[in-house]
Amino acid sequence: MDFDSIAQQRATQYENMLRLIGRQRAPSEDAAPALAATRMRSVVNCDRIAEAYRADAKVAYVSEQFPTEIVFAAGVLPWNIESMSNMLAQSLDIDQVFRLTQERELSRDICSFLRGPFGMMLAECYPRPDFVLTNDQPCEGLLKTIFMSGKRYGVPTFALHTPNLLDQDALDYLVQQIEIMLTRIAGVFQSDPDPEFLRSSIVNSNRAREYYRKAALLLERHALPGVARELLEIFGMNYFGAAENIDLCKTLYEEAVVLAKAEAPTRPRVMWIGQTPGESDELLRHLGRSVDVLYWAPLWEANLMALDEEQPLRSIAERAIRYHWNAERMERDLDHISDAYQVEGYIIANTWGCRNMMAIGPTFRSLAARKRIKNLTISIDPVDRNNYAFPHIKNRVDAFLETLQ
Amino acid sequence: MITLGIDIGSLSTKSVLMENDEVVAFDVVLTGGTNRKAAETTFENVLAASGLTRGDVKFVVSTGYGRENLPFADKHVSEITCHGIGMHLRNPDIRTILEIGGQDSKAIRIDDGGRVEQFVMNDKCAAGCGRFLEVTARAMGIGLSELGEASALARNPLRISSTCAVFAETEIVSLVAVGTPVPDIVRAVHDSIAQRAVVLLRQVGISGPVGMSGGVALNSGVVRALEDKLQTSIYIVDNPQVRGAIGAAYIAQRLA
Repeated sequence: MDFDSIAQQRATQYENMLRLIGRQRAPSEDAAPALAATRMRSVVNCDRIAEAYRADAKVAYVSEQFPTEIVFAAGVLPWNIESMSNMLAQSLDIDQVFRLTQERELSRDICSFLRGPFGMMLAECYPRPDFVLTNDQPCEGLLKTIFMSGKRYGVPTFALHTPNLLDQDALDYLVQQIEIMLTRIAGVFQSDPDPEFLRSSIVNSNRAREYYRKAALLLERHALPGVARELLEIFGMNYFGAAENIDLCKTLYEEAVVLAKAEAPTRPRVMWIGQTPGESDELLRHLGRSVDVLYWAPLWEANLMALDEEQPLRSIAERAIRYHWNAERMERDLDHISDAYQVEGYIIANTWGCRNMMAIGPTFRSLAARKRIKNLTISIDPVDRNNYAFPHIKNRVDAFLETLQ
Repeated sequence: MITLGIDIGSLSTKSVLMENDEVVAFDVVLTGGTNRKAAETTFENVLAASGLTRGDVKFVVSTGYGRENLPFADKHVSEITCHGIGMHLRNPDIRTILEIGGQDSKAIRIDDGGRVEQFVMNDKCAAGCGRFLEVTARAMGIGLSELGEASALARNPLRISSTCAVFAETEIVSLVAVGTPVPDIVRAVHDSIAQRAVVLLRQVGISGPVGMSGGVALNSGVVRALEDKLQTSIYIVDNPQVRGAIGAAYIAQRLA
């Protein structure tokens, strides 16, 4: 596609996106962000999102937990197709987006965190990508959806196949794939990979990660209102490698230090396991009135590890494998985090159609039984309102909260 | 001291007046379209039956799906907690409870004080609940209270899908159309409900005798099907449909 056509298409997509986001459901009193880090994140996101619609922007669609350090090193903007689902779920027009996917025969039984983004492409709201990058974790469904997006725009697509077991052979295999991918990205943009850019991206990632990790560690010992959610948002946004992310994580950490000194009263801690609704979601607001909700994913061991600046690709490969939903590693991780954060309850949220969660749920419930942690499994769909409404589950949520009293 | 427990369910609304931990009066009415009105009616009924006035009632705990829609309640408590307490008051040996209500079913494990340790509920469909029995009775043109007796006459075992109440109704209509005897169909429906209930019970873990509360405990066909599958007898608490309201009234006694 020539430059002018791309410019025209992205301008239209930007208008569509703004229109869709502008048609929000009525805001609630809980919707206003309290932390400076939250406001800063909004500004960073706005800047990056607007930039991605410029005709000369280099945009790569990426999937959740993709090593964005590599993307930033190539001078490309990562567009995480999935992480916007919660925001888009607030749009009054989201039903129209899902209708488009059904008209293209995408089954309603596919997780809405995948259907939603694909519908956004069909609705011409996402900026057309120059490249599509993905990995096969956390799920195969995501891999297939993102492949469809590459096909839709007729752009090169590359998927990292992540081994499940963590050993030297697996690391060699994954490093080799990353090297091939870097060469292909360079080929698309007709520029050689610059080791200095990669080094800089890794340093940025580590500096941000250090603040992120320290904020997470403070959360172990203190009630820090808003911090658990912000860690989740930064994890989902996945701008590790970008310079702005350092300031963002630093701000969050500094606010966490202040909050720790304020010694907010402690309440029962509940760990949310599974895909998470947007912050203003009715269920989360309901929970927030009586317990402190922590989110498991941002506290994963893989999210707290620094990258080896001498062997960055190997280190990225190790992190990718640690991200993989290996049942034994996940159980060990949850066991450790439950103790470290003194968790009293689990909410295991099966997002409609997420086979991963449904398959691994029994492992978490067994762990909860062993540790005598109260637990509740709920089936929800925080994005597609055709599949779920809060009153469906309120009764069981209330009963669960009563067991914590 | 007199307290009121009121359980506003999807099918029926129950109220219990309690004085010094003893039930003074209870009442059951159909919820209908206005649960607040049903609550007012049943409240008036228990007052009339006991000769008390509203001013005598010191604390009200509401439970059930309509619990938050009751202006005169002092506190709302989920019916899972209330059934746990309500069953414990009647039989302290019970640790595992099955409660099948109008629009959901629950397996509850309680500790030696009647506090809920763990519970699970049916998932996305009403196929294992009281509403399913209502649908079944309607599809076959018999009364809800006749289902228990009908299933005792079953001769040929059938299987009905337990995934979705609407799909199951389609199956029932098809079976009726080809002349399948009503008792066989009813038995299949009870087996289907029991199958789902047993899964829930095993998820929370069956410990000692299983007690059953909720209106469906009055259906002898479902109880028989459950006992067949569990290979043990089930303790049916007296007045099972008001057990949640009794638990609510008891909690009110503690909070007043």
